Amino acid sequence: MSESLVAMVTALGDDELILGHRHAEWTGFAPYIEEDVAFSSIAQDEIGHAAAYYSLASTLTGLTRDAIALGRSAGEYRHAVLCERPNSDWAYTITRQWLYDRADCLRLTALEESEHDDLRHLATKIRREERYHLIHADMWMERIAHGPMEGRSKLSRAATTVLSATAGLFEPFEREAAAISEGWLTVSSEELGRRFVSEAVDALDGLGLPAEVSPGGWRAEFVASSSGDLIAGDQSAPGEAIAPAGLGGRSGHHSHDFSSLWADMTRTYRADPKATW
Amino acid sequence: MEVYEVFRRSGHKQPFEHCGTVTAPDSEMAMLMAKECYLRRKEGQYLWVTRRSEIHSWSDEALPEPAADKSYRFAHAYRDVVQKRELARRRAGHP
Repeated sequence: MSESLVAMVTALGDDELILGHRHAEWTGFAPYIEEDVAFSSIAQDEIGHAAAYYSLASTLTGLTRDAIALGRSAGEYRHAVLCERPNSDWAYTITRQWLYDRADCLRLTALEESEHDDLRHLATKIRREERYHLIHADMWMERIAHGPMEGRSKLSRAATTVLSATAGLFEPFEREAAAISEGWLTVSSEELGRRFVSEAVDALDGLGLPAEVSPGGWRAEFVASSSGDLIAGDQSAPGEAIAPAGLGGRSGHHSHDFSSLWADMTRTYRADPKATW
Repeated sequence: MEVYEVFRRSGHKQPFEHCGTVTAPDSEMAMLMAKECYLRRKEGQYLWVTRRSEIHSWSDEALPEPAADKSYRFAHAYRDVVQKRELARRRAGHP
């Protein structure tokens, strides 16, 4: 059994499970009925991807998928803090989906080069579905970004918060050095993070949300457009130290937001872990 | 937002059939919503969407009650043709 492989696929599954859980909270509340169905499908897809990663982990550890998904304590989850943040409003949810799925596509492209056959095939299969998630997020982003002022300002606020927290997606996995030397991962998280920032900035620019990224690479400030109608999203005081936000998830350090999500998500399983469904 | 009518088919030799509607701001988004709402359970891989406002519709409630007997437009009206032909032949003296 390769511990570095288990650590990596568990973290990948955790990202998908926790974000999928947040997405699923929109079921019944999305802006309109068609979107309710569409976004619920996306939530199911993400949770399905988590199940696939956990299956892989299961073959390596002998633990059941349910035990991996629902039987761990909150501190044993390895998802990025970004995934556990509450949905806030629709602009935040869509911006997070948009940036997360971009990051995920980069990561999956790298995993398609993995020397682990099952992981490589899984990455290809998942990427086929993620393509539609990205189309979905792109459509919403374009429409909100080119729509009325209210939406644009919500979007720039959301983009500022989400972009800085994407740093957490590119913290190295536990035992990542081993995962790289064993060939499971071909590109380091750090390198993927660099690629992601430059892609994300270009994509934001394409939406008329030109972002100026701080030297550290994770904090964006939005520049007012020539018509002056864009509210800068960065609320920090001038000169304030700029640090990437939302770190710690890959080593099990989560925010208070995760405590309630975890309690809610695992309640039924914990009530009777031996029950079969 | 506009209402789009959605059509799908299960294979490239099957006809497109109406399956429902979606509400969307434009055709691109209508297609994505239609894909998510109407192709969730392997119903196929082909879709059409069209604005409801671009469909020309026609109806006449009186049509099922025609003024005259038009049974000659149905195949069942010709079921006794073989017997009638036999009868006519005999009447004309042919065996």
